[in-house]
Amino acid sequence: MAASSKSAVVLKAVKKIAVQFCPFESNVRSTREFLLFVGSEKARSTNMNCEVITTVKHDKSEPVVDVTFVDGERLLMKGAKLTTREMLSAFQSRCTAKDPQAKAGVKK
Amino acid sequence: MMAATLCGKLLPKQGWLPVTQSVRHGSKAVTRHRKPIHILKQKLLAVTKYVPPTPVVPKGAYPFERQEVKEESGFVLLLKRELKKLFQDYKMVAVAQNCNSNAEDMRILKHRLHRHGIAVKFFPNQVMCSFLSDSVYSNMAPLFIGPTVLFVSKEPKVKEMLTSLRSSPQMTLLGACIDNTLLSAQGVVSYSKLPSVSVVQGELVSGLTMMTAHTASMLLRHPAHLSALLQQYVKQQSSEEAPKAEEAT
Repeated sequence: MAASSKSAVVLKAVKKIAVQFCPFESNVRSTREFLLFVGSEKARSTNMNCEVITTVKHDKSEPVVDVTFVDGERLLMKGAKLTTREMLSAFQSRCTAKDPQAKAGVKK
Repeated sequence: MMAATLCGKLLPKQGWLPVTQSVRHGSKAVTRHRKPIHILKQKLLAVTKYVPPTPVVPKGAYPFERQEVKEESGFVLLLKRELKKLFQDYKMVAVAQNCNSNAEDMRILKHRLHRHGIAVKFFPNQVMCSFLSDSVYSNMAPLFIGPTVLFVSKEPKVKEMLTSLRSSPQMTLLGACIDNTLLSAQGVVSYSKLPSVSVVQGELVSGLTMMTAHTASMLLRHPAHLSALLQQYVKQQSSEEAPKAEEAT
């Protein structure tokens, strides 16, 4: 688990993260671990404005992570068949892709 | 070594040993740095190095067929006994996941819940899962993934628990077992909206006695009114029967 994120999650380009899952299903582990990672102190301290909303359902629906970025882009991850690492890597790659752009623009 | 060389010259009398004996010193076998080895010895060691055999199947590809039955340690048994007592004593057992709460938040939450008589318990997930799979509550087992907290109370005080949990954003209610019935998060919310037992009983009693109360109130009215009503009823019955008889014929 610790090896899957060498650099902490940078949430500066993220506006909102909505996680929904049904805890009685068995395919929920990766989504829950992703939620732990994203909701941790380190991640939240990078951006205090980012909201992490968790919805607990009971309708045998698939676990879904819906990320809304600052520039309006939306990332929808269906966590039923994904591992935590895959979800984190996809999420982090998009975050870092958006973030250095803003940083580099500011520096220049 | 020195003692051996001295023996021949400095031992004039028999049985005389020198006062000081110097033992070989100067080089240690175990050093902190890599001790220089002779190149030939180095080559020999390199050639004869142990190479473990590569497994045909990589590790973790196939699960172990024979399940290792580990004996449970005393601590685990103690925890299981506690859990058993917990499920017997406490009517309400709620499970929540906390993303991250520092000690301060936990302290405040514990204080708030303690005021309503709700205790906060922590148990290791493995122990919890093994206990649940043996007991009646096996369907609760998939809830226990990640850091989980148990809220237990003797009286099912759901409303207070929900209000306290709403104030702490990190806690996510996953489910609860109230009065030996497993409820989901929405079930818990709807349970909290239920009226109390006395109110429900009152409603049931009033619903059942509605008909008899209606009859009793009607009988209390003036008898002339009642006889007029009965006559009207008889007329209606006869008027209904007459068209039915005509239809039949």
